[in-house]
Amino acid sequence: MRPRRMRLSVTAQGLVLLAPALLVYCGFAVYPMLDVALMSVMKWNGLTPTWRFVGPQNYVQAATIDPVFWVAFGNTLIWTAMSVVVPPLIGFALALGLNQNLPGRGPLRALFYLPVIIAPIAVATIWRWMYDPFFGLFNAALTAAGLSGLIQDWLGDRAVALYAMFIAYVWETVGFSMVLFLAGLQGVSRTLIEAARIDGAGRFATFRYVTLPALRPSITIVLILSIINSLKAFDIVYGMTQGGPAQSTQMLAMWAFTQAMQLGDFGRGAAVSMVLLVVTIAIVIPYLRWMLRRDATA
Amino acid sequence: MQYFRSGALAGLALGVAVAAAPAGARAQEITLWTLNFANDSANQAFRSIIDQFQAANPGVTVKVENRGVDEHKSALRVAAGSDQAPDIFFSWAGLGLGGEYIKSGLAAPMDKYYAEYKWDDEFLPAALSFSRQYPGGRFGVPYTFHGEAVYYNKALFAKAGITSEPKTYAELLAAADRLAAAHIPAFTFGGTVNWHVMRLMDEILETECGAATHDALTNMKVSWATEPCATKSFEEFHKWTSKYFLKPFMGIDQSQSFNLFLAGRAAMMVEGDWLVGQLKGAGRLADYALFPFPTGTQRLYGFAEYDYISSKSKHPDIAAKFLDYLGSTPVQQAHLGDFGSISVNRFVKYTSSEPMDLAWQRIFAEYRSTFVNGDQAFPLAVTTEYFRVINQVASDRLAPKDAAAELQKFISSAK
Repeated sequence: MRPRRMRLSVTAQGLVLLAPALLVYCGFAVYPMLDVALMSVMKWNGLTPTWRFVGPQNYVQAATIDPVFWVAFGNTLIWTAMSVVVPPLIGFALALGLNQNLPGRGPLRALFYLPVIIAPIAVATIWRWMYDPFFGLFNAALTAAGLSGLIQDWLGDRAVALYAMFIAYVWETVGFSMVLFLAGLQGVSRTLIEAARIDGAGRFATFRYVTLPALRPSITIVLILSIINSLKAFDIVYGMTQGGPAQSTQMLAMWAFTQAMQLGDFGRGAAVSMVLLVVTIAIVIPYLRWMLRRDATA
Repeated sequence: MQYFRSGALAGLALGVAVAAAPAGARAQEITLWTLNFANDSANQAFRSIIDQFQAANPGVTVKVENRGVDEHKSALRVAAGSDQAPDIFFSWAGLGLGGEYIKSGLAAPMDKYYAEYKWDDEFLPAALSFSRQYPGGRFGVPYTFHGEAVYYNKALFAKAGITSEPKTYAELLAAADRLAAAHIPAFTFGGTVNWHVMRLMDEILETECGAATHDALTNMKVSWATEPCATKSFEEFHKWTSKYFLKPFMGIDQSQSFNLFLAGRAAMMVEGDWLVGQLKGAGRLADYALFPFPTGTQRLYGFAEYDYISSKSKHPDIAAKFLDYLGSTPVQQAHLGDFGSISVNRFVKYTSSEPMDLAWQRIFAEYRSTFVNGDQAFPLAVTTEYFRVINQVASDRLAPKDAAAELQKFISSAK
């Protein structure tokens, strides 16, 4: 007699397969998030065994007496706005170029993607040296070109430090957008493009009415990932300026870390983290819903 | 089956024995958490000290874990909340960085060991003074003691026509003017590491306010906003950053600043006694000399580093024995120069004939009291604001006359 096989419904099978990952996710993502939310209304220096409930005090103090919080908040928004526009645009242009039948297309793709696989802290170190005001590449090149009037203290002048750091970030991340757009471009139907051409559409019209709509899922993914990555920008700041000069390049993620791990104010650090979480949700969720609704009606 | 049972029992017995062996060894094992050493000679010295201690104390193992500064602080925070704390941990002395661990109960009082090993007779009094700063007993034992002074490029001083080392603040300013007239920046600092430029501000505060008021300001016992010398100090500080610094400086760190100093791009640097080793390593010892910043208070600018016994240590007696060995005269004499120019042990004999080593010995002998770096005097949050205000003034973003009030605003709201 053959043993009876235990039959599971499709839903049950799905749940069984999901359960291990869900458990791990709850243990290592959901629980810490809830813990941080709880910590944000507590006073804790990371050393004593007990937390003290202080209500919204950490949020109020961050917003009212912390002279760096709003600088970090503003910088995070500026950084995010730039990150949503610049790397995706350059990545898109590169993807369009590298989607053509160019000689050396493969090595070029690898070359542009290379910075993505370099450790962010190494990227920061490379660029910090290039920005060295005395011996760095940029000032040396400007001096050699007779443009010594343009040399800067790239990471020391608060008017330019944030943007100098952003250029390094663009170099680091543009390959990521490029690869996603390339994948999207390869999914665009050649038949549709050829049909558009036969119907008399020019290059721009084909791009505007065939390629671009077909790329909408890729664009959504790139923009959402760009927003999320830019909001949590940490390593590039840590490696290049540590938030200086005079906290002028400070960001929320870095400031949360500084408050908790360097100043020992875990409650304040958690409050800043929660603000960052709310900002992220406030930006990402409406955008995602809008894109999904648009895709559904398209 | 009988064979199986016998085999299983034998295996079990062997397993128990194997499991018990490390447990026995662990009973005599102490752990020490410290920072990564800056040079290989310190690594080798520490290894050799531990080997000798272990040889002299059979059955005792000293396990060292080295970390970077931030990782070390994080590890101690984690340790404070668990039962995995080390037996001994490194931290700076003073109310700021070291005091945090004492306040939280991670450090154990060491009065008993001070009496048992007579450390008050063994260590330099100035280095020991920090152990008495905390309520509830004596905490920590000196590991290193550092002084900071002004190093200068002898050739650049000569080029500017400066014939003697400044003995007063007015003479230092006059020297800076002579250097400026010769188109030589007086000082080089690295602005990205906040604590580097801070050194000049600390020295100016000591100069302008005097010892008692400076201490009252850093202990936050008087208001920065109403103390005229605090504002005057920021004004003096701004004078230096705007007129006498090698620029740009906010975008470079301390090591880049040192390279510029070596390249002769600026005449002076405020650095600790450890710079002697760095100049020696660069083969440039003969080109430089040093003098204490002329604050006029007869207090040496410097700080101590301590080793603390953890309140969670299961072997505090062995830990104390190791610390006594580490600070003992023969060990300190044998490893003189490996951890700093000056030993914390008062009986160590200095035999170096290097002028800069001799200069440091004179300074340590001459100065009876010290004032610590701002980042070791303030609580951490105030230190961060102190850095920010200093950098704002240095980068012309905050008027010097408003700086003291800006700092006080934060201190008042943080209290």
